[in-house]
Amino acid sequence: MSPYMLIILIFTLGLGTLITLSSSHWLIAWMGLELNTFAILPLMAQQHSPRAMEATIKYFIIQTTAATMLLFASVSNAWLSGQWEIQQMSHPTPLALITIALALKLGLAPMHAWFPEVLQGLNFSTGLILSTWQKLAPFSLLLQIPPTSSFLLITLGFISVLMGGWGGLNQTQLRKILGYSSIAHLGWMILIMQYAPPLTLLALTVYIVLTSSMFLTFLYNQATNINSLAISWTKTPMLTALTPLVLLSLGGLPPLTGFLPKWAILQELTKQGLTPVAALTALSALLSLYFYLRLSYATALTTPPNNLPATLPWRIIFKQPTTFLAVLITMSLSLLPLSPSVMAFFTF
Amino acid sequence: MSLLKIARLPPLKLLNSIHDPHLLLHSNAPLTVLRRALSHNKYRRPGQPIEDKFPWENITFNFSKGLERIKKNFKLLKQEFSDRWVGPEGKSIINHMLEQNRVIWEFRGPESLQEWTVSSDEMIGGQSKVYLKLGKNDTCFLYGTLCSAPPRDGETRYSGYCAMRSKQPLASFDRKKHYDWSSFNTLHLRVRGDGRPWMISIATEAYFSHQKDDLYSYFLYTRGGPYWQDVKIPFSKFFLTNRGRIQDDQHPLWLDKVNTIGFTLGDKVDGPFQLEIDFIGVCKDFAHTEDFAYETCKRNPEV
Repeated sequence: MSPYMLIILIFTLGLGTLITLSSSHWLIAWMGLELNTFAILPLMAQQHSPRAMEATIKYFIIQTTAATMLLFASVSNAWLSGQWEIQQMSHPTPLALITIALALKLGLAPMHAWFPEVLQGLNFSTGLILSTWQKLAPFSLLLQIPPTSSFLLITLGFISVLMGGWGGLNQTQLRKILGYSSIAHLGWMILIMQYAPPLTLLALTVYIVLTSSMFLTFLYNQATNINSLAISWTKTPMLTALTPLVLLSLGGLPPLTGFLPKWAILQELTKQGLTPVAALTALSALLSLYFYLRLSYATALTTPPNNLPATLPWRIIFKQPTTFLAVLITMSLSLLPLSPSVMAFFTF
Repeated sequence: MSLLKIARLPPLKLLNSIHDPHLLLHSNAPLTVLRRALSHNKYRRPGQPIEDKFPWENITFNFSKGLERIKKNFKLLKQEFSDRWVGPEGKSIINHMLEQNRVIWEFRGPESLQEWTVSSDEMIGGQSKVYLKLGKNDTCFLYGTLCSAPPRDGETRYSGYCAMRSKQPLASFDRKKHYDWSSFNTLHLRVRGDGRPWMISIATEAYFSHQKDDLYSYFLYTRGGPYWQDVKIPFSKFFLTNRGRIQDDQHPLWLDKVNTIGFTLGDKVDGPFQLEIDFIGVCKDFAHTEDFAYETCKRNPEV
């Protein structure tokens, strides 16, 4: 792609998210979401392969459906309450509709089926943007709107954790695994949103750090499925040693960073009297942990059949900078001891 | 003088669904005239069967068959549920990682032929014939006669093909299932032909309607003779075609959602042909590192 076009698209992507983040009017927020959608479409389609085009069109249809629902709900709210403020929504029906529209945008269950398929059709860098940056704008809106029916948010959250774990169990394609992992993590964030929004932000930030580490690791190894990940020890031994730890951090195991949001969320849910929900969610997280463990096992604890011990080293693009990946992996593994300061940072 | 057979017409209320008004008129004409009139407004391509039944006559209601299908589908669903706990595609992760060869189709009994379907230009009015049977050594034996005379329908100019294609694998309740060959990079066949060149076509899952005829193809040159031929074709060699035409925009074959594989003969040489297939499998060749054999850069770039 022409570098000028790339700059314009990335700028528009950033602009769209920032417009949504900083707006208090529904129409402006909707406009930011649309800018986001349209800016990422050429980035997704730049490969021109049939699967990339399929992913692009699926993403377009889903996002515009969600944006249309959002617009309809905000217009209905304006008609019923006479104002367009995001934080002043009072009528329950538009509120519920907006929640469902934003859930569709994010890929929360039961509106999650598109997300792994779309991710599978993209390359790792675009998939990374889709999994991280594209979540910011809808989440900012979800955090601003008054809490809707408690039952709706808890249902969306719990089903997402469950479906994210269940769907990823049988997968061998790494992008789809990361897609289901994303769905599960979004479920955790939605569960706690109405009780402790700062914890949602904390979970979102930790999720972005962990997912970015994984995407960049797979990008560096050029691994698209479990078998190609399993032979990555011949290409990047150091990264292969750290990858299982990042995966276990994604699974929420102490003493890694990923444990922090899950611990805080379970604690808060228990304080709110939702102990059964907390217990069931923790059990559902075991499903996700199973396929993270499977990936860790395949990556570092096996020696799969291979041609030569040092096979295919020329396939690694050695000029690719790894500084950012190193920082992300460090943050993914070692932030738990800093929990008090991290929590204080988010509970502003 | 024998009495003419008078057709018993269906009740009038059922005829309301027929849009051709002339059929509503009672007639003592023989049955064949009425039935020919059923489709006289639509063009019937030579080779297509005459539609001589009303749509409701094609319905066959069989309760026991329906029950059997329900049982079979629930059994498949239970299997899918339990396979998910074992590992990818029902195999443990160790098996999945250690697997370097997999036989997909092995023709060892008559039931293996049920997974395949044959077609030729006979369905567009041509004269080629193709048959599939189990060979002497429990192999798949595809044979027939190729005839490149085009059908005399006034629009077809070229003809002469015979093909064999695997059926789409189905999960429970007739949902589409796909083959995941992403752990492999080579197609391995053991065939015995008669020297004719065949085309192997792999169809992957397509999303857009204009991609429904997209096939990834490569040649299979058979050497006639008593010896079996082990053919290994890397998937990177398959090129994209649509309705037989090689596309300008080439893309590598994505192996995670393969639907069907087929063999086509269309070498414009009239006469009998035979192809015997022992097995069709996939394997991982670590020495083959090519991603795609053809250029993916833009041809005729704008200056």
